[in-house]
Amino acid sequence: MTPSVQNRVELTTEARTWLETHLDRELELPLLPEAAARVVALCEDEDADARALESVLERDPSLTACVLKVANSSVYASKEPIVSLQHAVSRLGMSTVRNLALTNSLQGRVFDVPGHASLVHDVWVHCAVTAVFAREIGRKLRRNVEAAFLCGLIHDVGRPIVLQTALRLPRSLGTFTGAQLELAMDTYHERVGARLVKAWGLADWTAAAVLHHHDPESAAPYEEEARITRLADLLAHWVLTPGSGPEDFPVLDPVVLALNLYPEDLDALLALRERVLLASEALQ
Amino acid sequence: MLPAPEARFDVLVLGSGPAGHKAAVQAAKVGKRVLIVDREPTAGGECVQRGTIPSKTLRESAAYIAGLRARSEDMLQITLPPQTKVASLMRRLRHVRDAHERYLSAQLERNGIIRWQGRARFLSPERVEVAMLDRTKRTVVADLVVVAVGSRPRQPANVPVDHEHVLDSDSILSLIYLPASLSVLGSGVIACEFASLFAALGVQVTMIDTASRPLAFLDPELTAEFSKAYEREGGRFLAGRKIESVHWDGREVVTRLVGGEEVRAERCFCAQGRIANVEGLDVAAAGITMTARGHIAVDANMKTSAPRIYAAGDVVGPPALAATAIEQGRRAVRHGLGLPTHALGEFVPSGIYTIPEIASVGLDEAQAVAKYGSAFVGRARYDELARAHINGQTDGLLKLVVAPDGRLLGAHAIGEHATELVHVAQMALVGGLSVEVFVDNVFNFPTLAEAYRVAALDAVGQLAKRAAA
Repeated sequence: MTPSVQNRVELTTEARTWLETHLDRELELPLLPEAAARVVALCEDEDADARALESVLERDPSLTACVLKVANSSVYASKEPIVSLQHAVSRLGMSTVRNLALTNSLQGRVFDVPGHASLVHDVWVHCAVTAVFAREIGRKLRRNVEAAFLCGLIHDVGRPIVLQTALRLPRSLGTFTGAQLELAMDTYHERVGARLVKAWGLADWTAAAVLHHHDPESAAPYEEEARITRLADLLAHWVLTPGSGPEDFPVLDPVVLALNLYPEDLDALLALRERVLLASEALQ
Repeated sequence: MLPAPEARFDVLVLGSGPAGHKAAVQAAKVGKRVLIVDREPTAGGECVQRGTIPSKTLRESAAYIAGLRARSEDMLQITLPPQTKVASLMRRLRHVRDAHERYLSAQLERNGIIRWQGRARFLSPERVEVAMLDRTKRTVVADLVVVAVGSRPRQPANVPVDHEHVLDSDSILSLIYLPASLSVLGSGVIACEFASLFAALGVQVTMIDTASRPLAFLDPELTAEFSKAYEREGGRFLAGRKIESVHWDGREVVTRLVGGEEVRAERCFCAQGRIANVEGLDVAAAGITMTARGHIAVDANMKTSAPRIYAAGDVVGPPALAATAIEQGRRAVRHGLGLPTHALGEFVPSGIYTIPEIASVGLDEAQAVAKYGSAFVGRARYDELARAHINGQTDGLLKLVVAPDGRLLGAHAIGEHATELVHVAQMALVGGLSVEVFVDNVFNFPTLAEAYRVAALDAVGQLAKRAAA
């Protein structure tokens, strides 16, 4: 997400110090659940087959439900209804199932902040839309499509973690207002997100894209991954802003120029609006 | 606001790949004011971004691994771990690309060539509009225009290239991990280069084409040598097969062939030719005629149907090789500026970066017979060369095509360093030398260049026999 409140509110020095101490040193990062970790590992194993994947899924009802639901969604379903888990895995493909496993884990372990469901849901929707846009940008630029998708999906993973941490601020230091919570998320989400991505063993370029998605030119040697994430982030903001039209998109943003996207290239991405929203619903 | 004034140049070059770059430098060298317009931010075109430079960097790793395997004579079991990162095999790419871009840019700057980044469109034969990245537009008027905008992969209607599971030559290098298996649709230069490269890296490769052999346009002896090496690395070639459909079934890419046969692979690489990048150029406004295959039609001097417009490189169609493009760019400008073009680049070599390499220069046997009534062919096999044994790379062949009067007409090679070796023959061809020059002179020992002496002795022996008869 794009910093929105930094000019209007401030964190007290004590609160900032406490937050930084907890986020940088004392924070226990959420672990990737066993089932999701096994799905991710299976998808990386060239000898693994769909049966092995099904047996992992069968032992995790929540993940199974998620796979069946997505396979039956309007994005993937054809005339034939899904009749089995095997059928669902075959229709979605290994990489989609891997992304669903990650998505499910993120939603269960990270994007779950009691009392702030609406705020966290908004972040999740934004991530889902960013992921689908990133995939399309990757396709257009002939970059790796799966990598672009994953960077988009988790680029704001630090936000709910910052929120969870900020909510534990000792009473002696006061309580964060809503605006201060947003400021805290804006300020710290990149570095916390990058730490989580590294802890989950995801690729270096994913961590770089998460850490630098507001400043992609600092992401060397992964500037391109960070730029794609940045542009997808901007597109997601645009698409999720009610009433926004093509004229509202910052067509001359530096990232558009850095990615060498000509007006017709960008227009083609903007025209994907409805398709992206539909595809992102499958992740929500 | 008043419209921006038209910019005027002596020569306008569209595209900065090998053909465009050379055309621009050639024009600047004779004192012309030159503008290059290219859609990419850096010089070099597709060659640097997604073509020759990146693919050859990956090829070098594959060739190194294949070479190490051969040299060790099974002493070392060299296999790459499953799911090896492609990027780890191309670590030097950034350095190689940066160095090449720096060299090209410095050359443009040194010659005073102006460069604009944008997309060009003809308004008339001498007037071109350039749409910049920042949405502004400028107009250029030039006395001479060279179109060298390159090409892009062709996407057949029955092959849904999604750049994720089904890739083309623009997206194949975006793979993060080496796939376990790869189906390759086509058997031309690009198909064979990537098929042999991935086979050498341990990927199970299946090449599929309607042709009866890979690289069907080449000398059959060279093709046979290529097939032998490719199959030894585990590659398969399905000849005479027509593709009916391709689809991703959720786990694998299924290529269905006419007749019901199916080929399943983790990824599919579509290499079914390239098409000219003329979309958006509005060639009709310039009066440029296209060929039936969608390339710009040119004469022997690269002149199009429009009086002051030339075209060079991939945009004019086969052979679409960088070396040829360079010569075409130079020839276009020299002819356009009224400079002599004779004796220029009569013997342009071609190189195919398969594993092993293939290279040619001059006439092949069939062309020589057609032109001179008969021809002699001297052969040297790499296994006759001490250096090839030392290198552990004894697969290879050099063929010298010789005229009845003993003059060298062409050379064709497959094997390690073939693309370098062929330049020796190129110089002999330029000098109009007899094949005996390779017998009468001494080469370093042990070297692969010794193949010239061996092949020349073979040809000279045949000539002597013919004379005696």
